[in-house]
Amino acid sequence: MTENIIELQNVDTIYEGEKIPAIHNINLKVRYGEFITIIGPNGAGKTTLLETINGLIPYTSGTGHVFGKEIKKHKMDIRKNIGYVIQNFDIDPLAPFLCKDIVMTGRAGKIGLFRFATKRDWELVRHNMDIVGMKGFAERPIGKLSGGEFQKILLARALSQEPKLLLLDEPFSNLDLSARRKMEKLLTKIHDEKNITIVMVSHDLNFIPQRCSRVVVLDKGRIIMDDRRENILTSDMITTIFHKEESRV
Amino acid sequence: MIELPLAILITSVLGSILAGFVCSTMGVFVVRMNLSSIGYCMSHAAFAGAAFGLMISFDPLLSAILFSFGTALILGPLAEKARLESNVVIGFLFSIMIALAFIFLNFIPGQAASGTALRILWGNIFSVGYNDLILLGILSATLIMFITVFYKEILSIMFHRKLADATGINTKAFYFAVLFFTGFAVSLSLRLVGGLLVFALIVNPTSTAYQFFYDFKKIIISSPLIGIGSCLIGFWLSMAANFPIGASIVVVSAIVFAISVAVSPKRKKKRKKDVKIN
Repeated sequence: MTENIIELQNVDTIYEGEKIPAIHNINLKVRYGEFITIIGPNGAGKTTLLETINGLIPYTSGTGHVFGKEIKKHKMDIRKNIGYVIQNFDIDPLAPFLCKDIVMTGRAGKIGLFRFATKRDWELVRHNMDIVGMKGFAERPIGKLSGGEFQKILLARALSQEPKLLLLDEPFSNLDLSARRKMEKLLTKIHDEKNITIVMVSHDLNFIPQRCSRVVVLDKGRIIMDDRRENILTSDMITTIFHKEESRV
Repeated sequence: MIELPLAILITSVLGSILAGFVCSTMGVFVVRMNLSSIGYCMSHAAFAGAAFGLMISFDPLLSAILFSFGTALILGPLAEKARLESNVVIGFLFSIMIALAFIFLNFIPGQAASGTALRILWGNIFSVGYNDLILLGILSATLIMFITVFYKEILSIMFHRKLADATGINTKAFYFAVLFFTGFAVSLSLRLVGGLLVFALIVNPTSTAYQFFYDFKKIIISSPLIGIGSCLIGFWLSMAANFPIGASIVVVSAIVFAISVAVSPKRKKKRKKDVKIN
């Protein structure tokens, strides 16, 4: 078995009907057990990179492997072991779903077709709701949750998949400072206890978890820096990129 | 009150129950997956197909299914890639299907066939035959099996399709299964409710169920029950007041929906909350 959980070589991803690649010439290796953060300004291609890794968006050139398997050929198979927490989205307040059912949907792919959820599956759902601090929310409607609570349920959903790899798209968006700190603690706890590889995306330079050892900087679809957290945060280049973004706003 | 021989009465009641079941069960998927515009087009394509069948002396049910599926095959992939706005879909295909249906109706030979065509337009309880009952029964059983066996996949897709995809579910297969089942449900209910109104029977009962429950399981159970109830009351109203059956069913289901919005506990809570905030 290769020591890398993710291996992307010269990967380009171009959206259908477009000419300019959303991500270009991506070379990225992530080892088992790492916790990395991909940062970059809005439109840098961070979400595209995450969705190229789990095969939701097909890459147009280069090669990509996850768990040593080629993404394009085995995307359905590898997705069963990748937990994906999508960027916070608005949920209809009247949506007819209970929190426990949403967490269970994370297991749907893993349980497999023509099989029903067992007692163990429901135990896992309860256990993961407990881990994220949402134990008492099993029977609550999903639309009635706050932004932070909803984010935690999506995380519990991804964890109930028992993933080897966790992809988190802006897990701190829509959270206030206190909720962000709690979420950071939670991610550290998950990384400690479950030994899951975590790849997180953030546009917020000021909020890269302490646990994260490596930071990849993406700008205009290219990886421009890939280094230890301390080196990245003190580099001049990163200040220039993010200041440019601020002045655009 | 119209009095019917027992055999026809039983056929009609069974037809109402089964049509109510299949349409309002599919409504759960159509409403949640935002497929209403495709569904409207499919129901009107089914109507145009039935008219086309009558024009060329072909089985109208079969041609309705073919037209409906043809529409699903064209619109399904287009809508999936979000290349078409739903307004464009409705504006273009809805009108062209109705226009085609009227052209086909115009060329139907003989007065008897024209009568059949009009019955497809308005719906007629006497048009429902044993074959329709058998087909509706098979579709009902298939839908129950589909929902029972694939409940966890369905729930996952109904919540968020991309997240369902990301967990390794083949959402495309389920999406097309829903389109095809909707096509079947529409085509088989055409004779009872009529081509112009059949889609209301898909949307209204589900929209009513949505006013009361937060649990998807309860929606999937209550929507067909509301659909069946609307069909039976509509059937009685049609017999009692000599209204066209399709119109009666749709009026009943619309009234039930309007009442449900007024008394919805979901909305009441929201209103109370709004007052508190203000």
